[in-house]
Amino acid sequence: MPPLGTIAPRETGRETMERARARASLIPDLLVEARRVANTVFSGWHGRRKRGIGENFWQFRPYLPGETMSRIDWRRSARDETSIFVQDKEWQAAHTVWLWVDESPSMLFRSEQATVAKQSRALVLAFAMAELLARSGERIGWLGNTKPILSRNAAERLAQALILSEPQTEFPVNPDLGPHSDIILFSDFLDPVDVNAQNLHDLFKRGARGHVVQLIDPVEEVFPYSGRVEFQDPESRETFTIGNAESLKQDYFAEIRSRTSAMRQLTGQLGWSFIRHHTDRLASEALVALHTHLGERGR
Amino acid sequence: MFGLPLAFATPWLLTALLSLPVIWWLLRLTPPRPQEEVFPPTRILARLRPKEETPARSPWWLTLLRLLMAALVIIAMSGPVWNPEKSALTGEGPVLVVVDDGWASAQDWEIRKNTALSIVSQARETGRTVILVSTTGRENWTGTPLAPDEAAGLLEAAEARPFEPDHHATARRIGEIVRQSPPGHISWLSDGLSRNENTETLSQALSGLEAGKGIYNRVADDLLLIEQVRNEPAELYGDIVRADSSLSGEYAIEARDEEGIVLARSIVSYQPGQQRVRFSFQQPVELRNQITRLDVATVDNAGAVQLLDEANRRRLVGLISGEEFDQNQPLLSPLYYISRALEPFADLRRSENANVAASVPDLINQGVSAIVLADVGVIPEETVSTLQGWIEKGGLLIRFAGPRLAASPDSPLLPVDIRPGDRNLGGALSWEEPKPLAAFERESPFFGLDAPRDVLVKRQLLALQEARLEEKTWAVLEDGTPLVTADKIANGWIVLFHVGSDAEWSNLPLSGTFVEMLRKTVNLSRSTGISSPSDQAVSLPPLRLLNGSGEFSPPDISVKPLALSSNSQPVVSGENPPGFYGTEDAFSALNLFESETELELLATDSLQGDFEQHNYLTGKQFELKVWLLLGAALLLLVDCIVVLWMAGALRFAKPDIRSSVAGIVLVFSMILFSPADVLAQGSDNNETDFSSALETRLAYVRTGIAEIDEISEAGLRGLTLFLAQRTALEPGEPIGLDISSDELAFYSIIYWPVDPRAEIPTPETMARIDAFMKQGGSILFDTRDQVSGVYGGTAYSPAANALQQILSTLDIPPLEPVPSDHVITKSFYLLDSFPGRYTGGDLWVETTFTAETARNRPVRAGDGVSSILITSNDMAGAWAVDNSLRPLLPTVPPDPVQRNYAYRVGVNVVMYALTGNYKADQVHLPALLERLGQ
Repeated sequence: MPPLGTIAPRETGRETMERARARASLIPDLLVEARRVANTVFSGWHGRRKRGIGENFWQFRPYLPGETMSRIDWRRSARDETSIFVQDKEWQAAHTVWLWVDESPSMLFRSEQATVAKQSRALVLAFAMAELLARSGERIGWLGNTKPILSRNAAERLAQALILSEPQTEFPVNPDLGPHSDIILFSDFLDPVDVNAQNLHDLFKRGARGHVVQLIDPVEEVFPYSGRVEFQDPESRETFTIGNAESLKQDYFAEIRSRTSAMRQLTGQLGWSFIRHHTDRLASEALVALHTHLGERGR
Repeated sequence: MFGLPLAFATPWLLTALLSLPVIWWLLRLTPPRPQEEVFPPTRILARLRPKEETPARSPWWLTLLRLLMAALVIIAMSGPVWNPEKSALTGEGPVLVVVDDGWASAQDWEIRKNTALSIVSQARETGRTVILVSTTGRENWTGTPLAPDEAAGLLEAAEARPFEPDHHATARRIGEIVRQSPPGHISWLSDGLSRNENTETLSQALSGLEAGKGIYNRVADDLLLIEQVRNEPAELYGDIVRADSSLSGEYAIEARDEEGIVLARSIVSYQPGQQRVRFSFQQPVELRNQITRLDVATVDNAGAVQLLDEANRRRLVGLISGEEFDQNQPLLSPLYYISRALEPFADLRRSENANVAASVPDLINQGVSAIVLADVGVIPEETVSTLQGWIEKGGLLIRFAGPRLAASPDSPLLPVDIRPGDRNLGGALSWEEPKPLAAFERESPFFGLDAPRDVLVKRQLLALQEARLEEKTWAVLEDGTPLVTADKIANGWIVLFHVGSDAEWSNLPLSGTFVEMLRKTVNLSRSTGISSPSDQAVSLPPLRLLNGSGEFSPPDISVKPLALSSNSQPVVSGENPPGFYGTEDAFSALNLFESETELELLATDSLQGDFEQHNYLTGKQFELKVWLLLGAALLLLVDCIVVLWMAGALRFAKPDIRSSVAGIVLVFSMILFSPADVLAQGSDNNETDFSSALETRLAYVRTGIAEIDEISEAGLRGLTLFLAQRTALEPGEPIGLDISSDELAFYSIIYWPVDPRAEIPTPETMARIDAFMKQGGSILFDTRDQVSGVYGGTAYSPAANALQQILSTLDIPPLEPVPSDHVITKSFYLLDSFPGRYTGGDLWVETTFTAETARNRPVRAGDGVSSILITSNDMAGAWAVDNSLRPLLPTVPPDPVQRNYAYRVGVNVVMYALTGNYKADQVHLPALLERLGQ
């Protein structure tokens, strides 16, 4: 009788990138809603369809007294005999989105009911998001690993950076987020509820808007064990033996429910979004949900 | 042990059972190994049940199971034996084993052999040698002390032999053996039968020895023998002699021919105390003569088999006539009819010498089993004694009357005394008519033959009245005067036909009955043995020999040819076991028991000497070790499954189990219910078939198109009513046939409406149709398209195309439109056209005559009925009526007369199909009557 779940080999960016691209190609362009209208934001590629700081031409308008002379478009003004024109640029604002994937051993768990390990699915989702965001000209960073990158191939560069670095098994502490940033967290959040709350609060204090994706293996939800089972924690290697696993089922379900509602409540308080994603489902489901949360809010 | 027939090879190992409580304790403490699972939320689980919760003990029943397993293994290792052999050996020195290995041991030879083997193995354990002595005198049991292994090998190879044990010779032999190697123990494996003084001699010889003595006494169940088998004219009978006559029951005696096929079976029942039971076969003598072997079906020993040799022999018949053989007038020769009658079943030897005195010894030397003397009156005295001796040995003398015999009424060798002169019936000086034969009496060997009334006897010899005349008479004339008389002399017969062997005295020799009478008579003749010209012994090679169990087996190396001489009876011995000797064509049977024999049971207490009684090992000793270990292994398997189940390994199998259980249930239900369905269908068919077989009914082919089938049904119903009103035929309800599955054999004509929409039948169906037509059925094809057909014909219509497709696979003879003189125009009504709903379409039938045979005859008729009739006039449409008998469809053109004609066509077609060319013959009636009047 083989065990139901195994520890899958750790996957790196190289193989997940491919899948991430495939997923991302199905999703429309994602435009992260700018939370604040301010001139000081970093300029990005994406036009906001209004006048502002940017590089692209938006419109000509008559020169108003008081404006700096440097803004006069002499070429346009020379064609007109009566008035002087000023060239307005389209406002182009960019946003920083931080990605983070929990790569602790528990994320490597994969049951036979799931198609991939949690870590693998998390990387796919993260890279797909990176791909989508890069397409829209957002600045993307990997929490605790890279600085925000503004590039078409940002996702690839993130993947390269991941290959070169050690896997992140700990929750990032005191990261340098910078203002106006979104943060997307992929983890199984199996730590005690108060530990999780503490971590999220820390990030919240840094001004980030968060999106929490909890990855769940179906086995963790269904608990199909029976008989005499020795459970092993993949992180601490601690074991727990029980003679009659079925008897734990109801208690376990109740515990999972209470943890979920606690997470929901916590993210609600912070104004963050919370997505539960099962690894036996399609990655696109989580991707679309994320897309919705990132793009639709405030519109 | 414990009052059970149970023993242990190493009983001390059983002390290991004491360790069971320890094992119990250990097993209780050791829980089954858990299933190991990686599970990320283990922390959560640990928080739910902070204390590790483990059943410290296995469930009690699992522990019990394992304890049982351990106990089984311990008991198995101690080597338990069921039904152990008791050591029966005493003394020291060689063990003398005397085995009765004759026919009486054959039935339960395995038991005897196993007992002997167990004695040998006991000898092996105590390191003693074994002396094997066979009471039938086996050559390879030399009587020297053998190593137990060697003795066991000899015993294993030994089979019971088909002889009587010779206890007398055995006693002498034991005397010699004992002188060389005195035995320490004697075991006598008796077959349970006493051979009187011989057995006493043996027991004396044994009791005189200074050794422990044991006797194993057992008579085989149902031990019996067959003896004194006689094949008399009326019956074949013999005796069964039983050894143990205390039971009642039945025996089935089987009679087999040379091929081993059972020809007849005779059941005899017996009562307690009845040692001798008579069985008989009363089958016809021809059948009895084919019997070469009698045996008792349930008893396998050589004594319960009798081989018969005189049967199955082509008799050699010698012919002697008192008359000169006239080459020019063979039909007048007295031997002509006899030889013609005998030739089919006998080899004939015609004496070259006309002199009876010379020809008789000549024929006897040729080994004839019957001699025919046709009209021989005077026989020389010397020849009479030769013949007398030959008859006593089983010869058959057949004599025919004639003028010469009539002239010498005191001729010797006659079954009855005869009156001088002959009786003349129906001559010029007689007022009596020639007499026919009377029916044969039951006692006569001719019983069963027809006594032909046209056989008339004009002249005959008359027998003198005597006491046994009736008994001797085999055939009489109507007025009771004997025609054939016979007398038995020792083993042979003399038969006298009171008429001549030519057609002068009666026409009996011309009739077939004569052949049968001669055949029955000649069958009486016993083989007089293999012809030996003198007293020199003939030696016959072994052909098929019996083994101890009474089965034919290849001869073994010690068998010698059987020496037959006229003055000594062959004796069954090791060199000549019972069986057939000779060649396939001529063989002689040697039986273990021919003459009267008594079987006497051996009473052990009446034996001299103090024999210790032992019992044969009826059940072989049985080693339980393997079975106990097997049981332990099975328990281990159960344990594995239980452990797997407890570890939760079967949880994913559950749906599978459920589905497989569902599958099994499904399969079983199919098995249970489907045959019932099939039967139900079958019985449906049977009902239809039964009624169709009992009642003539019209039938139509169901096309699968509802409106056509309705019209066909209604049409045939209308025609059925019309037939019932107008003709002697009252058909049953018409029936629609599914030609692909229904049995067609019950219908003589089938109406087949052809429609292009209907499915073209499969080749298999067409093969059925073809068979139906070839077996005499007719099919009326109706394309129903006379109106829609182009050119006033139907050659190119869709229905015609469909018909062509249907017929393309059939074997269709050439067709023609019904000629005006075809029998179908006259089979009931006189018709000149064949209208249906439509008119004008031709009715096509098979061509009956080719051009050259066409003659000017009033009617044409083949020998059969045309198997195919094709019309396009929609017959069923014209016949169709509704329930109130109104026509369903109008005729085209609307004409009530046309409908009437359509019915007449139907009647003619049905009559034609049912009566065939009978109507054609009726046409000749005037001419026939005219001729008869002349």
